[in-house]
Amino acid sequence: MKKRYLYLLLAPGFLFLTLFMIIPLLLTVGSTVFRDGGFSIGIYTQFFKDAYFLDILGTTLLVSVMTTLLCIFIGFPVAYYLSKQPPRRKGIMLALAIFPLLTSSVVRSFSWMIILGKNGLVNNLLTSFGLVKEPISILYTPTAMIIGLVHLFLPLILITLVGVMESIDHDLVQAAQSLGASKLTAFRKIIFPLSIPGLIVGSILVFVGSLTAYTTPALLGGKKRVVATFLYQNAITLNDWQAASAIATIMMIITFIVIGLMNKAAAKFKPKE
Amino acid sequence: MVKKTWIKGLLACSLATVVLAGCGSNNSDGKSAEGNNSGGKQQKLVISTWGFAEDFYNKEVYEPFEKAHNVKIVLETGNNADRLSKIMQGSSDVDVIYLSDYYAQQGIEAGVFEKIDRSHFKNLDHIYDIAKAPNGEDYGPAYTVGQLGIAYDPQATGTTIESWSDLWKPELKGKLTMPSITSTSGPMMVDAASKISGSADFNEDKAFEQLTALNPSVVKYYSKTSEFVNMFTQGEAAAGPIMQMYLSDLQKAVPGIEFVTPKEGAYAIINTLNVVKGSRNKQLAEEFIDWQLSQEVQEKAAKAKVDSPANKDVKLTDEEAVGVTYGADVVENLQTLDMAFVNSHLKAWTDRFNREVTR
Repeated sequence: MKKRYLYLLLAPGFLFLTLFMIIPLLLTVGSTVFRDGGFSIGIYTQFFKDAYFLDILGTTLLVSVMTTLLCIFIGFPVAYYLSKQPPRRKGIMLALAIFPLLTSSVVRSFSWMIILGKNGLVNNLLTSFGLVKEPISILYTPTAMIIGLVHLFLPLILITLVGVMESIDHDLVQAAQSLGASKLTAFRKIIFPLSIPGLIVGSILVFVGSLTAYTTPALLGGKKRVVATFLYQNAITLNDWQAASAIATIMMIITFIVIGLMNKAAAKFKPKE
Repeated sequence: MVKKTWIKGLLACSLATVVLAGCGSNNSDGKSAEGNNSGGKQQKLVISTWGFAEDFYNKEVYEPFEKAHNVKIVLETGNNADRLSKIMQGSSDVDVIYLSDYYAQQGIEAGVFEKIDRSHFKNLDHIYDIAKAPNGEDYGPAYTVGQLGIAYDPQATGTTIESWSDLWKPELKGKLTMPSITSTSGPMMVDAASKISGSADFNEDKAFEQLTALNPSVVKYYSKTSEFVNMFTQGEAAAGPIMQMYLSDLQKAVPGIEFVTPKEGAYAIINTLNVVKGSRNKQLAEEFIDWQLSQEVQEKAAKAKVDSPANKDVKLTDEEAVGVTYGADVVENLQTLDMAFVNSHLKAWTDRFNREVTR
């Protein structure tokens, strides 16, 4: 095939995405600023002046950042361990790790309710060991949301990290050690920097996933709302699609900003060629 | 430059809309052709409903109707809001829709229902007055009238509850779950709060003051009944407003739960049936609604504890009536809200609820 016809291979995907993603997204964004024949960003200034919305946005960002950090903290050592396993074993273990992604989020959230509730496993353990007198409130707090989201998104960071860590040339580590670097230094100077791309991609997936998650916060969260449940309230129960579209646009912009910032950070850590 | 891109975008969008709309009308043409040529062929009736108690509905409601009218019933399930919003977007072929009175009112205001002809219904004379025309004479009747009262666990709360105002008791702190403002019973709580504030007429400001004072007691504002039952099972909540129909579920989860009709009066939870605008089977749709109102279906549904009856002729024994809202004395004393009023205030109430109450 001649090279200049190669782009035709993109056509089906491009057409599909244009029709079902790009145009709807433009319509969504457009509907928030083009109103009654005029252009106005009034709805956005209204949102950002609104203490209630800022409060929700704050909770959402806090939950997303905490989820991402916890996923990195838990996921990094596990991914390193997995990448060192023989292929067969690694396959089985990865499949097990991905399991939460394959369960419906409703089922998953209900399981957490049973574990975190006042009559739940955690509180029963705590009270029977005498660590607390009264059952503590975990369910229906932001903590419960974070626990549920970490459980959901940990596999994403594991998959991306394992993929990157596998491709790290072990000779580099041996070379460093033969030149007198300690194991820790070798890890810090070689393994960690070379894992950064996987870490960035994984973190973006987790962060964006947490930011937009609906079911888990709706079921595990209590009176504190997140942006996604607020959006749902506006769109479905109040039929205020303009407000809902504006919230969706704000979420998209936050996503782009976060991706941009993380890529910048990645560039800083990237080892010089 | 920016403008140009926009115009292009819009052009592309409108083009796409034309294409998509084209597909849509082709589809429906195909369908109508099928319907006309049918002769002895089976017709199709699309029913939009919640999907709870599906086994009961399949066996006792849909199947007998399918047999009697040589029709195939197709179901679309989901909650009130999702199903109504789908119809409002104009992308559905639903004939009959089950909705709570409050969402039915939204549908009426959006103009998505057919007006019904009351002379086509044999069973309307046999149902309670409250059920005959909950959203006005032009629109569908209610097939079930339940009551919203309070369920609580006397042991876990260590107190007794007899009235709406008892929800404000300090003993219930951290043990209460209330309906979310956007759920069917949310606006009823605004009304109850206004009543207990001592105001004779509805007073929005006083109601919200009361609800704000109640907020520290509330663990979570529930939007699904399953959440309510689950919170009792998990020991997260021990009191809250709920429909009487869920009492037996609750008692299975936590024995000892009691249901009370508050002194100030319980609220009527009314579920309606309407014919969706553009239905190709309007006559059949009306016949289905009439069938759902018949004593036969109503009595079976009550005995199975699926729906409280709207039909006055339904007779239940004391045992069969447990957890069922039953009897003229009960049903005719239920309080109703003006759904048009609620609808016009809901956006403002939700806003106040978000900002003042749950802060």
